[in-house]
Amino acid sequence: MLEVKNLVAGYRSGGRVLDGVSFSLAAGEIVALLGRNGMGKTTLMRTLTGQLQLQEGSINFEGTDLTNRPSFRFAKAGIGYVPQGREVFTDFSVEQNLMMGVLGKDGIFARLPDNAFDVFPILGERRQQRAGTLSGGQQQQLAIMRALVGRPKLLLLDEPSEGIQPSIVDEIAVTLARIARETGLTILVVEQNLEFVQALASRVMFMENGRIAGATDTVADLHTQTDLIHRYLSI
Amino acid sequence: MADVIALFLDTLSFTLTLLLVTLGLVVIFGMMNVINMAHGEFFLLGAYVVVVVTGAGGSFWLALVLAPLVLAFIGFALEWLVIRHIYHRFIDTILATWGISIALKQAITIMFGPGLQSVPNPLPGTIDLAGIEYPLYRLFIMAMGLLLAAGTYLVFFRTPIGLTARGVIANRAMSASLGINTRRLDWATFAFGAALAGFAGAVMAPIMSVDPQMGVGFLVPSFLAVLVGGVNSLVGALLGSALIGGTSTGLSAYLSQADTQILVFLLAMMVIRFFPNGLTGGKR
Repeated sequence: MLEVKNLVAGYRSGGRVLDGVSFSLAAGEIVALLGRNGMGKTTLMRTLTGQLQLQEGSINFEGTDLTNRPSFRFAKAGIGYVPQGREVFTDFSVEQNLMMGVLGKDGIFARLPDNAFDVFPILGERRQQRAGTLSGGQQQQLAIMRALVGRPKLLLLDEPSEGIQPSIVDEIAVTLARIARETGLTILVVEQNLEFVQALASRVMFMENGRIAGATDTVADLHTQTDLIHRYLSI
Repeated sequence: MADVIALFLDTLSFTLTLLLVTLGLVVIFGMMNVINMAHGEFFLLGAYVVVVVTGAGGSFWLALVLAPLVLAFIGFALEWLVIRHIYHRFIDTILATWGISIALKQAITIMFGPGLQSVPNPLPGTIDLAGIEYPLYRLFIMAMGLLLAAGTYLVFFRTPIGLTARGVIANRAMSASLGINTRRLDWATFAFGAALAGFAGAVMAPIMSVDPQMGVGFLVPSFLAVLVGGVNSLVGALLGSALIGGTSTGLSAYLSQADTQILVFLLAMMVIRFFPNGLTGGKR
């Protein structure tokens, strides 16, 4: 469903953070992207949402060429984004944040889907509360739900477990796995937390120096594959 | 007592008109981070739409409806032709809009001459208000100012379009990644801000001296109002307009024009000294 070829992107000055990234995702797949800090994972995510312009390469999503199209086109094509640091609208209520997820997709008469407050029950309890007053884990759930109410076909998650208490990390992993199973949602997740990756992903790609340097389909015992861990993850 | 009431009403009418101009500035700055130096000329053009329409035998009320429409179109055209190319260059937007302001002012001077244009008062007569005879038209201006300010507030805080706009102001990149066409909001905002200024110019035309310099006279207090109130806040626009409009009108009843200006500037400086982000502290 997603096919990216030879992506080159980075600083305005021309410095390359991505140096020829190529990979593809099949519909319904859940893929994790691992790598040390500074290897270009977040930069890759930002090119896949159109927030960062490409210097070279192409992005094809479900037969549509999205190369250097404006950001909102990526979203309309069906790419949902949960950024690192969550980026919820802190001054808006929980409900208003979720509304932002449908207004861009469906126009100004958009309505929230019925299950908007059921997937993560805490969001229903905090419906009118300002998002800025939520805990990190609650904000993460809000950011994920904000993307999901827009009915994406591909969900991009950038470090969803960062700075969040373990019980909520588990809840998020379980919920996302269930939604993917039920709806056929494709997920690409950048993550440092191996447990989260093992609970969710069916394939892992490793990123090094702005390229996809390796991959493995055996995720269940990832933490025992010390050669891979050492090469791509340890500092 | 009658003097006090008259002064109060004058203050209110100036504040509300100032608010129309200030709202446009705040909305444009908040949305696009553009300081629009041509905003005073949008006000000016609004007044000249009235001059043209009434000069051609049309009614003032027709002109009052046309002015915001014409300015919305001019705003849209300028955004598309000039501003959208320089969004990420903050200083250049000041230069470019300043250039636009000079060009517009000169175009008006070439077409209409530098002299004063007169616009007949569409609502002559006065109304008895608690014992004082107050011009009917000034009350109309106040009503319009209130209505538009309230309308703008409602649009921004009570409608999905307003929510979208505030979302883009808060986090443009994230809003775009949620599917919101931020480009379309940009030109719509610019056109809306221009229309507000155009309407203010048109509605003030009958009680102001309409000449090519009239825009500056409104731009300066508007900027002061924005700085005092806080650059990113609609409530700030109201506070700033009230403070600047109120002191200007209040003091000018007792002092010369020049002394009034000096005191208003001093007051603005004091406020900015203690509230560097304006009275609303940059709260949105």
